[in-house]
Amino acid sequence: MIIALSTFSYLLAFVCVLTIVALGGMFSEKSGTIALSLEGCMTIGALCAGIAMEVLPVSLPDGLSVLIVLLVALAGGGAYALLLAVASITFKANQTLAGTALNILSTGVAVVLVKLITKTEALPVGMSRLNFTRFYEIFNVNLFGMQGVRFNWLILIVLPLIPIVYFALYKTQYGLRLSSCGENPSCADSLGINVQKTRYVGVLLSGIFAGLGGLLLITLNAEWEFANGANGFGFLALAVLIFGQWKPLYIFLGAFIFSAFKTLSVSYPSIDFLANLGISSYFYLALPYVVCLVVLIFTSKKNVGPKALGTAYDKGKR
Amino acid sequence: MNRIKMFFSSLLKKDAAKTVITSLWCALLGLIVGFLILLCINAQEAGYGMSSIMGNFLIFKNADNRLDYFGQTLAKAAPLIAMSLSILVCYKAGLFNLGASGQYSVAVLVISFMGAGANLPWWLVMVAAMIAGALWSMIAGALKVFFNVNEVISGIMLNWIALYLVNGILSANATVWDSTHSEAFTISGESNAHIPTIGLDKLFAGNSIVGLGMVLILVVAIAIFVLFKKTTIGYEIKAAGLNGDAADYAGISKVKNILIATAISGALAGFAASLNLQNGFTSWRLSSAPPLIGFQGISAAFLGGLHPIGVIFSSYFIEHVTEGGSMITDLGFAPEVASIITSVIIYLSGFVAFLKEMMRKSEIKEQLESISRIKGAGK
Repeated sequence: MIIALSTFSYLLAFVCVLTIVALGGMFSEKSGTIALSLEGCMTIGALCAGIAMEVLPVSLPDGLSVLIVLLVALAGGGAYALLLAVASITFKANQTLAGTALNILSTGVAVVLVKLITKTEALPVGMSRLNFTRFYEIFNVNLFGMQGVRFNWLILIVLPLIPIVYFALYKTQYGLRLSSCGENPSCADSLGINVQKTRYVGVLLSGIFAGLGGLLLITLNAEWEFANGANGFGFLALAVLIFGQWKPLYIFLGAFIFSAFKTLSVSYPSIDFLANLGISSYFYLALPYVVCLVVLIFTSKKNVGPKALGTAYDKGKR
Repeated sequence: MNRIKMFFSSLLKKDAAKTVITSLWCALLGLIVGFLILLCINAQEAGYGMSSIMGNFLIFKNADNRLDYFGQTLAKAAPLIAMSLSILVCYKAGLFNLGASGQYSVAVLVISFMGAGANLPWWLVMVAAMIAGALWSMIAGALKVFFNVNEVISGIMLNWIALYLVNGILSANATVWDSTHSEAFTISGESNAHIPTIGLDKLFAGNSIVGLGMVLILVVAIAIFVLFKKTTIGYEIKAAGLNGDAADYAGISKVKNILIATAISGALAGFAASLNLQNGFTSWRLSSAPPLIGFQGISAAFLGGLHPIGVIFSSYFIEHVTEGGSMITDLGFAPEVASIITSVIIYLSGFVAFLKEMMRKSEIKEQLESISRIKGAGK
């Protein structure tokens, strides 16, 4: 029972991480900018939160420090996404290139900073992992008083965001304008929509969402190895976004499938039937990516992504 | 005097010159950012740290040590050149090869079994590695042409699949796996699979990782240059990359060219693995992320202005900085500062097109002004 519940809590957490990050990426891609730097934004969001958790004094009330950690994660992810926005919207850089650069940069920055703050007399170079047991216990609560089953309450912030995003995208003026900038920016411009500004907001939102996803991801454990960035979750989220055909509900469903396999790679040793098969753990680790690739094969043919995705808007090209 | 000025201004108008200038600016800015970071970490040692990164082997007093480390930097730049050529070939075909790390990993698998395990001749291992890389890369190519799967996404997925595949297979086979150090066996200098040094090691204080590989990579770089400059295949790949539908209409098959381009690109990534492992310098270690060299290749390719000869210099530069970065740990700096420098450079190299456009525009403006001046004088 406990195993089933803790597996379920993992699954739910992974679903939430992938969904929130993919939804963020959706804002960016719907407005016409490829969200390849999601992984980097998650890493930086997690980094900012991690540093805050390390340096905040214990004397501060828990509620206040949690609020600061949360805000810092959102701000970190958002600020980092602005780097992508500047490169791809204002300077019309190749978006894949800029995104890739930001992903590598994020890991470099994270490791250098974490090493800097963990530096001691005995460890002159420091280490690349952070431990935040105190906050782990604040973020994760024992449900029904059962030991071993922990639920991360950040999930409760993430879940309501799904219908909110759906509403914002399809029922508000802003959402429709956002989509129009990714479909036909020239047309949107001719109708008086500021394409560049709208795209900036889209990319900024993607960073903020990714920052929240990063915080949720690292607080599922009591420590995090920053040399691994966000452990590939940003890339999986991007795949979920494409598989979900840029639609909030499909994204949620897609996240569910991938999370199921990701959960399997974490919790298969505790499932007797699977543990007895004696298959290498690497098989389970690779499984979500294989499934993702197979699903993409079946869904890409009729893919209907934003038409202007990946192209900078050039007023002269109308 | 005026003639010299005109010579320089006409040189500046050449596209290649613009690329070189903007790339140098990117490199300079990247280094400045790196210096600022070092300053923030430890202001006292920052100057010395930066000169270690920039100087790399020059930091040594002993001439033999210098030669030894210079040879090492050169030998480690060779696989990076191959990697950036891999990115470049795909880019010419309109594809972004983000899966180079995976192609590299799969080639490592083949090299470990055929080289370190079975001790086969070096050229055979090299060819097999290239075929393995090519086949892995063609998965992404085939998915692109037959199922319309975005090559960036499939490349990323294939990177992770290859990572776990190689980790899993290598670590489960005692013939290739050194479980005490948890890494694959390195190819020793006496092994058949070791690329011959052809006497080049003598030039670098007996550093045996320098060898024929250095010559081969230069030949390959020139071959890629010729491929795009002089051959039909290269022309067709470029045409398909610029506008696939138009090329298709003109009788240039999009499917064929994407498959060829991904195959060449994968073979080059496999070649990179061969150059990196078959000189006995390193081997596969258990890792939780795809090899970094695939992404470094992207930086080298763009910093080199996406030109087969340009990437030779940019790859050397990046390797020089990375090697230099590994020397600053003694000063209490994290070696990852070097990776920040290179990624800032890639980020900035995205602005190259914009900067070139600005330079072009200012030239046009200048010309227009001079024309109006002449007209004004005529009146």
